[in-house]
Amino acid sequence: MYIIIIGGGRVGYYLSKALLNEGHEILLIEKNPAVCDTINDELGSVCLRGDGCEVSTLNEAGTSRADMLVAVTADDEDNLVACQLAKYKFKVPHTIARTRNPKNEELFKKLGIDVTISSTNIILEHITEEVPTHPVTHLMEIRDRGLEIVEVRVPADCPSVGRTVKDIILPTGSMLSLIVRKSQKPVVPTAATILMADDQIIAVTTSQTEEALRAALMGE
Amino acid sequence: MKVVIMGCGRVGAQLAEQLDAAGHSVIILDMNSYSFRRLPPTYKGKAIVGNGIDMEALKRAGIESAEVFVAVTQGDNRNIMAAQIAKRMFNVPRVICRIYDPLRQELFQTMGLEAISPTTIFADLLRKRIES
Amino acid sequence: MEFQKILVPVVGTETDIETIKLACRLAKKDKSKILAVYIIPIVHSLPLDAEVSVEVKEAEEILDSAGKIALKYGFEIETDLLQARNIGPSIIDEAVERKVDLIVMGVSYKQHFGQYSLGNVTPYVLKNAPCRVILYQQYQSE
Repeated sequence: MYIIIIGGGRVGYYLSKALLNEGHEILLIEKNPAVCDTINDELGSVCLRGDGCEVSTLNEAGTSRADMLVAVTADDEDNLVACQLAKYKFKVPHTIARTRNPKNEELFKKLGIDVTISSTNIILEHITEEVPTHPVTHLMEIRDRGLEIVEVRVPADCPSVGRTVKDIILPTGSMLSLIVRKSQKPVVPTAATILMADDQIIAVTTSQTEEALRAALMGE
Repeated sequence: MKVVIMGCGRVGAQLAEQLDAAGHSVIILDMNSYSFRRLPPTYKGKAIVGNGIDMEALKRAGIESAEVFVAVTQGDNRNIMAAQIAKRMFNVPRVICRIYDPLRQELFQTMGLEAISPTTIFADLLRKRIES
Repeated sequence: MEFQKILVPVVGTETDIETIKLACRLAKKDKSKILAVYIIPIVHSLPLDAEVSVEVKEAEEILDSAGKIALKYGFEIETDLLQARNIGPSIIDEAVERKVDLIVMGVSYKQHFGQYSLGNVTPYVLKNAPCRVILYQQYQSE
């Protein structure tokens, strides 16, 4: 694949390095000439000096034959504009933008950016995964369907322990798909399955009913 | 009319002054409070410190009930992003932004933004003066 | 000084003739080898291995005439034709790979925005060469 990366900061540099190792054709666009020189010395001639939000630079980079453009500068607005130019002017099939402000994910999605990555959100997700006080962890979002796959941990002191699945009233749109137990094979829950302490339940839910699902399982 | 202006540079400040004098309800937003020195003492509108590409700051500026949003900061990309936030996230009925770069202005205009390139306008103006 | 293998990057200007001649003079008959290389710059809008037949044909002619000049001096030279994004690093890669011990290159007198300019290839080669480098600049008569 031909992948263009905008922004030669640390993210851009290591991303280029990793993708080069995977055998992709990489072009990194960076404004600062000194940074460009260093990258070219270290990674071979892969860095083009220029502003990735300028049409002329993107022309020079051969953006119209790129399979993907990834914008990872420090500024959300620059990443947005680079991706929009790539998408709408150069018809690049895949655009990925990095954002600092997690609230911009929704905006970028609305504006046609294929994938938006917010390091703040990624760290938050890991924190909620690590901290047991928050029982629901987002595993995956099913794109454009409003559905989410979540993991719910059942604490030992939870009223649901010892109850069967049919005794738990789930909100509409939610479904328990799998129960993972310590030192046991995962179980596909049926109405008669009894919940046990420390069960990890994988469930499908909607963003609206997620809270209700949590409450139902936690017995609140 | 309720107008939110992002960027209190020379253009933003002058526009705010004029609209305010004409009796409109004006809120001007800038990241740096020092920029508000450009507003005249007679200015009766609001001036708020905040980042115009941050949705919270725009809410504080009352974008949800604004009829017009104008983005005139120094950064083309900031203006483009703010204008799209106003249009797509807050459904502001009229959104205008300044884009210095004529090529970006052209593209975002075709994508539905009301964008003005002072570069193009001023070059045209100069050429007409020279040729007349 | 004796050189085993001399690299001469050629570009298709008159300077080529003099640099090839110079390389022949510095080389020892039956002992030294001369390698002429032509590098076709490939713009990013094309893949690096794009078929650029017009440029290749032109390059082959340039390398051919370099060969003929050398032949007059009794040298049968090797030639190499490369495609690259950047000329400078490509010359250096070739020098390293072919283990040359001298690069002889021509510089044409150029002005850039009204000032004398060496361009970016020559300084890159001077800075990064793994061997000795001799530069030749053609005298520009009016």
